[in-house]
Amino acid sequence: MRFPLSISDIGLWLAVTAIILLVTSELLSSSSGRLGNVAVEKKRLRIAALALGLGFMATVVMRVFQPI
Amino acid sequence: MKKKMTSNEKQKATELDGIPTELETAKQLVQSVDELQKETQSLKKQIQTLNRNSTIRISIIFIVPGILSLALSIVTESQVLAFIGLGLTFWGALFYLVRPITYVRGSLLSTTATTLYQITDRIIRDFNIKGKGIYVPPYPKEVYLPQHLKGLKETIIFLSQDANQVAPSIEEMATGKFVTKNPKGVILIPPGSSFLDQIEKTLRTDITKMNLEDLCTTLPQLILENFQLAKEIEMKTENNQIHLKTTDSIYRNLYRDENLKSLRLLGDPLTSAVACTIARATGKQVTIQTITVSPDTQTIETTFQLAGG
Repeated sequence: MRFPLSISDIGLWLAVTAIILLVTSELLSSSSGRLGNVAVEKKRLRIAALALGLGFMATVVMRVFQPI
Repeated sequence: MKKKMTSNEKQKATELDGIPTELETAKQLVQSVDELQKETQSLKKQIQTLNRNSTIRISIIFIVPGILSLALSIVTESQVLAFIGLGLTFWGALFYLVRPITYVRGSLLSTTATTLYQITDRIIRDFNIKGKGIYVPPYPKEVYLPQHLKGLKETIIFLSQDANQVAPSIEEMATGKFVTKNPKGVILIPPGSSFLDQIEKTLRTDITKMNLEDLCTTLPQLILENFQLAKEIEMKTENNQIHLKTTDSIYRNLYRDENLKSLRLLGDPLTSAVACTIARATGKQVTIQTITVSPDTQTIETTFQLAGG
């Protein structure tokens, strides 16, 4: 029993998700933070995207010090 | 000679005992206000809980299968399940995080503000107000003031009956009266005063400790990023005057109604909030000198004049 994803898998997932969220937060209407019928807190969405981006950077650093 | 109380007098005395004195009435009123405030607070909490519940429910729907999928992926060592689990857990957490604050249509904001200006217009007509509105700065919060001067802790706007730009005496402002005698005029709470409180909460710094240049840089950025009340805001200071330029303000529709005289005296809620902020930061009286609106109401340019402290 072990977790089936490697650091590079997780890194890739984090990078893709971070890009999607960052693009979404940028494309959201600047005046209302509305995307279709869903109202979201644009600022928090950006924070989440940046956190994921940082997570991706962490996986990169891990791979630098522990190359597979 | 002692006079015996007749039965009628006795009845009257008993009735008078039953009538509450002014003090008792005031106490009862304070008590009922307290009760009403408590009730409002509990209702607010209930609404918040209801709002939270719906978002929590959605996030739980995502998180529970996500965690199960992640656990199952460890047992079966399946990459597909692991990705599904990660995705579901992530979106569950995101739904919880980006839950919206109540949003309202911008047009509703200006429509509700119109009533306020119509009421102020009536006041202006009735009291024959001819002067400009003077934003009087409040005393800083940390300064101790005796009970009878507590009224000086809030930003007010004074509308004078004559065109002379003189604010009333401290005593008159402190009493919290609506009508002043010397100089004749009325004291109102500016439409942007509650917005100023919101700005202070968001800014998390004491506005009184900011200088004017810092305020001109920070305030537009803060209003744009946190409140999205306009598309662009520019503020600059020049020779005791502050120029504010707002593009596509949410209150721009107010200026379509040219009959609103008070709008030109007090400014729209956003302009008024900026005037309140300037007054609080500088500790000086602020008047709105000019408000220039482009024909399509897209751009609103306001000039504030600083007076003596």
